[in-house]
Amino acid sequence: MGIVTDKLPGALEKVPGGNVLVTRFDEIINWARASSLWPLTFGTSCCAIEMLMATGGPRHDLARFGAEVARPSPRQADLLILAGTIVKRMAPRLRTLYEQMAEPRYVIATGACTISGGPFIYHSYTTVRGADEIIPVDVYVPGCPPRPEQLFHGLLTLQKMIKEGETIREPGVRRKPVISALPEGITLEDIQGEMKELLVKENVVDVQHAVDKLKWPSGLNESSSGDSGANERGAGDGA
Amino acid sequence: MTVEVSSLKELVEQASGDDRSPDTQEYFVNMGPQHPSTHGVLRLVLKLDGERVLRCIPVLGYIHRSIEKISEHMNYMNCVHLTDRMDYLSSIMNNWAVSKAVEEAAGIEVNSRIQTIRTIFAELERIQSHQLWWGVLGMDLGAFTPFLYGIRDREVLNDVMEETVGARLTMNYVLPGGLMADIHPNFVHRVKEFIKYFRPKLDEYDDLLTNNVIIQERLRNVGILSPQTAVQYGATGPVLRGSGVAFDLRKDHPYGVYDQADFEVPVGTIGDSWDRYWVRVEEMRQSMNIVEQLLDNIPPGDFLVKKLNSKIKIPEGRYYSQLETARGILGVFIVSDKKDEPYRMHYRSPNFNNLWCLEPMIKGDYIASLIGAMSSLDLVIPDIDR
Repeated sequence: MGIVTDKLPGALEKVPGGNVLVTRFDEIINWARASSLWPLTFGTSCCAIEMLMATGGPRHDLARFGAEVARPSPRQADLLILAGTIVKRMAPRLRTLYEQMAEPRYVIATGACTISGGPFIYHSYTTVRGADEIIPVDVYVPGCPPRPEQLFHGLLTLQKMIKEGETIREPGVRRKPVISALPEGITLEDIQGEMKELLVKENVVDVQHAVDKLKWPSGLNESSSGDSGANERGAGDGA
Repeated sequence: MTVEVSSLKELVEQASGDDRSPDTQEYFVNMGPQHPSTHGVLRLVLKLDGERVLRCIPVLGYIHRSIEKISEHMNYMNCVHLTDRMDYLSSIMNNWAVSKAVEEAAGIEVNSRIQTIRTIFAELERIQSHQLWWGVLGMDLGAFTPFLYGIRDREVLNDVMEETVGARLTMNYVLPGGLMADIHPNFVHRVKEFIKYFRPKLDEYDDLLTNNVIIQERLRNVGILSPQTAVQYGATGPVLRGSGVAFDLRKDHPYGVYDQADFEVPVGTIGDSWDRYWVRVEEMRQSMNIVEQLLDNIPPGDFLVKKLNSKIKIPEGRYYSQLETARGILGVFIVSDKKDEPYRMHYRSPNFNNLWCLEPMIKGDYIASLIGAMSSLDLVIPDIDR
């Protein structure tokens, strides 16, 4: 099957006449969702230059994380990158945009303005103090504006959340929002090195590790061993 | 704003009311606030007859952050930092505009080193702003490659400025009375390297987009703005110069050290989108000329005239100061009541006036031309709404 299955979460069983992939729906759906986030081109002010233009440009290249297909229509997007201040007049429109997006939808709030109101927090009669007063936010990326590397840090955090998070049995239930702030004293080289390492790690998935990660329903985990995993699973469901 | 909303409603009622003629019915289409080509959250209400634009009414306020009101609660040193967020592509020039107004009002003299560094940075920022505009214009007209070229070269320039300033976009470099920091030891060398790198790239830009037949067809004779209309509407910057009016504050009322530099002001002929395009591309060349001339003889001196505390007090009165940003004239109007905070602070932003030129430019033309014409205006929406 080659390159594609190398990255699939699950165990690849060799049987006569081909391969059988043993995995879980949650696992594989979350993997697919995390790896192909389509952002909405939503930028209100300064952060849009850094978040949508600089990251889409050739140096930073959002395409490396599978999130470069920016859609102008909320119907086709599943990631809302809030770039720029939200003011009271824009708030109902933002809510509409969020509701028009198809489920599951994820929100990254970038910049001080969308987190708290930023420099416009005091004495402003229009600024909304934080976009989470209007829509739920999954990941906060602080900065004014954040560097493109910081958005990538936030995006990787969101991918991690998605991979670990939602299940089919409990749709919409996710981990609590996180702040994806870069630690102090970190340099550009550190981030680039870390991203390189992460990308290499993503390329080579340890199959045994993936098998260990699969948590079968109670009772089956002990009895299933190696090749007979798929049969055991089938029997378990029938019982 | 209420007047505008009600008038809009009346217009819609008029159009959709008792129109029983056999001709096409006029109708309204909202463009924005969430639209990929409006460069932000601008809303245009278009009155259409088929694909022809009969009226184009901008509706503002979707990013009104009340910067002018916040400024009334801040001292003059702090006001500067809000201006980066207005026209974020000419942030240093915005800082400079406020600093210039405060310095003139409070009688602070700055030395020629500060003025020279400010001028160099302003011109570098003008190049950076036009690079982004160039890429985005290509993207608006359906070509993605120019965007990649523009951003690629902008990152090179960003690195040079970041070394001194420490920020990529909202730079906060100029203060009343001087600069935040002295220039980096590498600065002069790296700027020279950049200019050596970018001159051939600009010729490449010409090969890629300027001499492209499709771009010429999309821009030539589209969105014609006559010099009379441009002056009437208060258009400034490349929009005004594209219409053939050679008015540039850098030349006509020199500030900084522009009087020491030898440069030309590119002027268009008929005022179509093509002229505005050409003026901006040519401005990048002129800006590089200015930087080259000033770079070798930055005079010695301090980067801050004296350690200013936040209590700059301005004598009672009204003060106005203006300079040329990448988009036109940014004016700063201060009303002082002898305190360390302004009584009223008003910004005359270039984009606001340039925006209203859109309707006379595009009346009777196609919607597709509207996108190209609006892109040639190079609007930054937070500067309009403030």
